[in-house]
Amino acid sequence: MGRYWLPLMLLALAALAAFLLSVTVGSASVGVADVWAVLTGEGTQLQRTLILELRVPRTLAALATGGLLAVAGALMQVLLRNPLADPYVLGLSGGAAVGALLAMLAGVGGLMVSGSAFAGAMVATLLVFGLAHGTGSWTPSRLLLTGVVVAAGWGAVITLMLAISPAERLPGMLYWLMGDLSYAGTPSLALVLLALACLLVVPLGRSLNVLARGPLQAAALGVAVRPLEWTVYVVASLLTAVAVTTAGSIGFVGLVVPHMLRLVLGNDQRLILPACALAGGILLMLADTLARTIIAPEQLPVGVITALLGVPTFLLLLYRSR
Amino acid sequence: MPKLIKQGLTALLLAVLPVLPAHAGVCATDDTGQQVCLPAPAQRIAGLSPGASELLWSAGAGDQVVAVVAWSDYPPEAKTVASVGSHTRLDLEKLISLQPDLVIAWVTGNPQEQIQTIRNLGLPVFSIEPRDFEDVSSVIERLATLAGTEAEGWAEAERFRTGMAELAARYSDRAPVPVFYQVWDEPLMTVNNQHLIGKVIALCGGYNVFGELPRLVPRISDEAVLEANPEAILAGGMGEENRAWLDRWQNYSSLDATRVGNLFFVPPSLIQRPTPRMLQGSELFCQKLEIARGRR
Amino acid sequence: MSQLRTADLIIDVPDRADGRALSLQVEPGQIWGVLGPNGAGKTTLMHTLAGLRAPRSGAVLLDDQPLAEQKRRTIARHLGLVFQERQDGFPATVLETALIGRHPFLSSWQMESADDLKLAQQALSRLDVAHLASRLVSTLSGGERQRVAIATVLTQSPAIWLADEPTNHLDLHHQIAVMELLTEEAGHGKAVFMCLHDLNLAARWCSHVLLLYPDGEACWGPVERMLVPDALERLYGQRLATTELDGAPVFVPVR
Repeated sequence: MGRYWLPLMLLALAALAAFLLSVTVGSASVGVADVWAVLTGEGTQLQRTLILELRVPRTLAALATGGLLAVAGALMQVLLRNPLADPYVLGLSGGAAVGALLAMLAGVGGLMVSGSAFAGAMVATLLVFGLAHGTGSWTPSRLLLTGVVVAAGWGAVITLMLAISPAERLPGMLYWLMGDLSYAGTPSLALVLLALACLLVVPLGRSLNVLARGPLQAAALGVAVRPLEWTVYVVASLLTAVAVTTAGSIGFVGLVVPHMLRLVLGNDQRLILPACALAGGILLMLADTLARTIIAPEQLPVGVITALLGVPTFLLLLYRSR
Repeated sequence: MPKLIKQGLTALLLAVLPVLPAHAGVCATDDTGQQVCLPAPAQRIAGLSPGASELLWSAGAGDQVVAVVAWSDYPPEAKTVASVGSHTRLDLEKLISLQPDLVIAWVTGNPQEQIQTIRNLGLPVFSIEPRDFEDVSSVIERLATLAGTEAEGWAEAERFRTGMAELAARYSDRAPVPVFYQVWDEPLMTVNNQHLIGKVIALCGGYNVFGELPRLVPRISDEAVLEANPEAILAGGMGEENRAWLDRWQNYSSLDATRVGNLFFVPPSLIQRPTPRMLQGSELFCQKLEIARGRR
Repeated sequence: MSQLRTADLIIDVPDRADGRALSLQVEPGQIWGVLGPNGAGKTTLMHTLAGLRAPRSGAVLLDDQPLAEQKRRTIARHLGLVFQERQDGFPATVLETALIGRHPFLSSWQMESADDLKLAQQALSRLDVAHLASRLVSTLSGGERQRVAIATVLTQSPAIWLADEPTNHLDLHHQIAVMELLTEEAGHGKAVFMCLHDLNLAARWCSHVLLLYPDGEACWGPVERMLVPDALERLYGQRLATTELDGAPVFVPVR
């Protein structure tokens, strides 16, 4: 059991540290003591607004989004048994982006954009699964191929929409496509879903371990492969859809975090999946802290930072594992 | 008895008067139709677009501006004020910590979610979107009202209003000149008649060859320009006094504008922002068209 | 102990006539060898018997109940399969690989217990790969991987062993060790059903033999009735010389 609890406890502590750092650091100078005062119910009105209404919700959104994306990525990699799979590989973010951009083109804002993005993600999910299923059997490679082709289709639609949209709507659209946490409200739904996903993973974890050895081997060892694959697909899609809806499509977290953890912690999904939830959250909280402070008051898209942080870390781990 | 009542009323009035604020509240309706009321004229104003800051200075409220965004470069004093990010991506934290008592937002330029967050935090938001010359004057007047700088602001609004009216009177009925205005280089973009610059073209008696296109800022091809064959081509460019964008037209000798030499540069800062500087830009614009007429 | 039976089973080899329907019974203690040339359908038969592949017609019955009507988990508690081809999914260590043999016996919420770990370690020792426990399977040689695969099924400890060429990739010593292991399992009342390429291993260790012909023909029965030179020469389309050693026949191909 220590094998599981020690890394998870360490990651939880790191997540707490990242949370506190993200809440403490910002373009407005609020000292550590002030943050502590606010968290314990003291502090001035201004400090309370800064911390409780701006930084805490945004940090929670980063935690939830990062966790969701990393867990979804890890699930997709097991489902497709392909290390290059990420939450977006099956064209889900494309569908979400088309939904969001349509809402922006129509000139509606806020909740409608989120709702439309979520609907787009679900349409993309059903489309890929329906097509991959087709009349024949579905295999991971068929699912992957369908997803990649459909994603390319979404990409073309997005480019088309960007080309014909009025100039004044372009910046908003581009920022959505890059992924941005500055619009995110308090992500209660995303946090609840992340917690539920972690709970679900505990009973499914060992079956996923067996599934990772291949579907025939899994079936021979008593795994009901088809229902399990369905469950994984639906759960991963749902997590991604909620993440994309919260913060736009933020790349790289879903690909890199699961692999980093596998290099360090091995391949037991019962450990990897909850670890992904924490590590994904940590990466995005740190990335967002940098994104909003590095050249403050100018704000960078957080997706840029996740890639800039993730690529070297990942390459270093890969290099050292040889 | 009447005297007693009168005395009593006076006493009552005197007792009540000090309670009333010295300066009554100010109200104005913004460009989304929302009425914004402040208990007292704003003393700490944030302008969330370069245009908004410029209009604030025009309204005489420059000294009250505590926050601007990137590219707020006019008047030069604007550059010394604290920046709260870019107009598409605001640093809300920075904005809040500057404790503004009035926020001037740009309807189509600022992210709606962030503006909503600012509202939710209890800050009064006044949204602007000047779409024609009169809007520029009207925004200045309303900003002056909210800032308590009516004297200066209203005068500036009136100066702009009469200036533009004079230009219209002098030029709008002159012989029409077919004009192509190049707002961007790659991709090649122009404006239609609904755009403020389109209105400047009409004001100067020009005829916008792409004025009927449905989009405000249409993307077009070189071919379309060759086919429309404008008599004059006017372009902005990156930075001031940069004629690079006009060079591309030198290669097309079939263009009337190229043949006659009617390729004109207009400093973009004077014409691309809906602010009183448009008066100067429009004057320049009209003069260029006059030169074109002179070469007929 | 469990019993595996086929009722008029015709396996689904694409583009092949039905051939002979298989109705055979694998009893505890028996060791079956399946012989046939390449493409005769040996692996397809193995997968069909494990319920991983639907038959064209007929049924496979585990303890008199059709496999198709049983849960995979129930089947996996009685029946283990050593695959011929390795499916390399995600990297895993040798010990982790052996431990998944306990999967059918653990509930969703259970972790592997110390007993499960002990079973896996014993299986690895039995197959002479205990010293590799913490290595990644992908770094092993073909023979080592084959032994890890067998150790996984040994950890699963099924009443019925299905093994698709269990001696593949193994050196002579380990070939014999694996055959000894399977014989020992049969001695404990397990049933063994395996595909073999080596006639002589079948002749030495099997109690029953199934001959599968490329056209779907088949015959089966006790080893001494099946392993006759005429039938084998027809099976492989290869002339054989036969001699006898230690009471078992030995077949050698003739040039």
